[in-house]
Amino acid sequence: MKLPRRRFLHLAAGAAALPAFSSIVWAQTYPARPVRMIVPYAPGGAADIAARLMCQWLSERLGQQFIIDNRPGAGTNIGTEVVVRAAPDGYTLLLVNLANAINASLYENLNFNFVRDIAPVGGMMRLPQVMVVNRDVPAKTIAEFIDYAKANPGKINMGSSGIGTSVHLAGELFMAMTGTKMTHVPYRGTATAFTDLIAGQIHVMFPAISSAIEYVRAGTLRALAATTAARLDVLPDVPAMQEAVPGYEASAWYGIGGPKGTPAEIVGKLNTEINAGLADPKMQAQFAKLGVPVLSTSPAEFGKLVVDETEKWAKVVKLAGARAQ
Amino acid sequence: MDIFSNLVIGFSVAVTLKSLAYCFVGVFLGTLIGVLPGIGPVATVAMLLPLTFKLDPATSMIMLAGIYYGAQYGGSTTAILVNIPGESSSVVTTLDGYQMARQGRAGPALGIAAIGSFAAGTVATLIVALFSPPLATIALKFQPADYFSLMVFGLIGAVVLARGSLRKAIAMVVLGLLLGLVGTDVNSGVMRFTFGAPALAEGISFVALAMGMFGVAEVIYNLEQRGQDRQVFTSKLGRVLPSRAELSFSKWSIVRGTALGSILGILPGGGALLASFAAYTIEKKVARAPRDFGNGDIRGVAAPESANNAGAQTSFIPMLTLGIPSNPTMALMIGALMIQGIQPGPEVMTQRPELFWGIIASMWIGNLFLLMLNLPMIGLWVKLLAVPYRLLFPAILVFCCIGVFTINNNVFDLFQLVAFSGIGYVLLKLGCEPAPLVLGLVLGPMMEEYLRRALLISLGDPLVLLASPISAGFLIAAAALLVSIAVPAIRATREQAMKE
Repeated sequence: MKLPRRRFLHLAAGAAALPAFSSIVWAQTYPARPVRMIVPYAPGGAADIAARLMCQWLSERLGQQFIIDNRPGAGTNIGTEVVVRAAPDGYTLLLVNLANAINASLYENLNFNFVRDIAPVGGMMRLPQVMVVNRDVPAKTIAEFIDYAKANPGKINMGSSGIGTSVHLAGELFMAMTGTKMTHVPYRGTATAFTDLIAGQIHVMFPAISSAIEYVRAGTLRALAATTAARLDVLPDVPAMQEAVPGYEASAWYGIGGPKGTPAEIVGKLNTEINAGLADPKMQAQFAKLGVPVLSTSPAEFGKLVVDETEKWAKVVKLAGARAQ
Repeated sequence: MDIFSNLVIGFSVAVTLKSLAYCFVGVFLGTLIGVLPGIGPVATVAMLLPLTFKLDPATSMIMLAGIYYGAQYGGSTTAILVNIPGESSSVVTTLDGYQMARQGRAGPALGIAAIGSFAAGTVATLIVALFSPPLATIALKFQPADYFSLMVFGLIGAVVLARGSLRKAIAMVVLGLLLGLVGTDVNSGVMRFTFGAPALAEGISFVALAMGMFGVAEVIYNLEQRGQDRQVFTSKLGRVLPSRAELSFSKWSIVRGTALGSILGILPGGGALLASFAAYTIEKKVARAPRDFGNGDIRGVAAPESANNAGAQTSFIPMLTLGIPSNPTMALMIGALMIQGIQPGPEVMTQRPELFWGIIASMWIGNLFLLMLNLPMIGLWVKLLAVPYRLLFPAILVFCCIGVFTINNNVFDLFQLVAFSGIGYVLLKLGCEPAPLVLGLVLGPMMEEYLRRALLISLGDPLVLLASPISAGFLIAAAALLVSIAVPAIRATREQAMKE
């Protein structure tokens, strides 16, 4: 088939204009088909459930299904790599979290650079942590605990959900900033660690507030401090760590990202809807039940948070690594 | 007295039309996904989670719990019919169940699994209702050293799982342990034997290995047979339900399995996992003659299936009383409760009695539903075996592939399936049985983790393993078991017993 010259020119001009044109058209029609959100964890847990809540919200608002695709493994690296390799068209998103920032320095040979390869879309929630001790630990305050730990170097067992997790590194940061030395006992996830903490096999842990709060309320564990800058609404009597250890702040966070190069219009559209969701009273109520404050940001603010946290935790990873040798 | 008023509260919640309907939906879905090796209970519960946002807590828990123990029920079906264990708990069911199916006794095998499970479920539910709070403290008494010694005991018991040569069984256990080393070391975060494949960071896929070594290897082996030999199942279908003689023959096996499963189910650190293995091991040691384990002894199905289901029920104890999940499905259920604003823990029982007792009452109702659902279905399943093998085997392969893929949505797991299918076939040819290997693979990493944790906490003192009475007890029992296996005179009689 031979194209008439004039028609060919028209097509060529159209094709040349396409890249600039299409991203706007895309944003207008986006989402035209189901969107998948990669959650780099197994189903269950506060992060997965929060992602499901958000996906349901986005599905209702944007008229297309937002589907959760759980890709667990290698401390979020497997799921993250799937998104890094995906087309930057807004149809593949990632549940971004603190582990991504930690892994940037924890893993030596990753096939991607998280800060460079994932475009920030927006924050979703903060997940404060809390320093809890077994009931038989004599220390009742942070200061008493620091003295107790200094009097018993290496004899206090600090549990965690695994090497390089936020639970572990919050503890390492505590040790580094207070000059204490405890024995780190890693577990696979916090569930079994809680059993041993309640039974007194381990003495202290820095878990997420959502997993620890009921033990604290029931009195099976004692909370010494919230790891956030300010006290928590759910535990008003528990001091913030900063009150005894100035400058200490450690809390996990979750947000949404996409592959590098995702059109800014699509990022903007998603960000608007995510923030609308975070401002919605019904959604807020459900996040509150999970025990997590929402984190509403612009894409740029979220990007800055990711960069800052990556730098902050790189130092702690280095400290912890130096201690492990 | 109190227990009755509590159970009245429970049944008043569980015996409403809504609760009954959701309970039925739960166990029906559970059976379905148990039978299809495609999706497991974790994925199903995850998919249904948004649905529960709109239900009240009791109703959503009743449904999700139904999926969980329904899947335990359904999982035995594929193990018996086509030698595919979807979960570690149904691995031992393949040993005698599949042999029974080949002999045209699939009906009685499925029947005894359903009846045993129901009996075990009833007893275990009663235990949950009566003794939850005191039993929960047992879970707290178990220290890392105790878990380690329990696993050592289980591992030595694994040798008994094999039909044939003792040396081969030991070799397979060791091979399983070595395969278990693959993955991230919990204590240092170092990748071991992953060869740069991130998919291996979490270790070798259990489901890929089990489906490859049992299901696919068996298919390859069957296809190799020529002509009439390819008749995998006897053409006569036989009875659909177990006979009265078979029932009375296996009643003590059901009792023993139930007792063992109920106890091990309480331990959140992997106890429930051991239940079916341990039940089979004990059955093989204590069951009275005539013994034909490994060649279609109905007690080899009754005991592990009862233990499995009893363990599934009692594993709710640590979750309901302490808020500690025994497995990933339960972690999801805790998530479902959290979204309702309820943190599972010691306070649930006192502050939300209708929830706590409603779930317990619904467990028993769910077990009854399962029995009603499964007994009539057996006829249907048995007819499935009449399907010509040339049509059956591609279906088996497709379901295996879907099942392995959907766990992590990862293509690499399919490569693992292919590799283990090949290895499984070679091992089958060599007369090495995969069951001890599977137990080694499952227990190895846990054993290592508990041992190193025990040593870390004791600051490197190995005597911690003997200091705890529970641990010392298991180690002594393990030593006794080892001696009973290793003494050549006993071994000779053992092999003779195997030949019978």
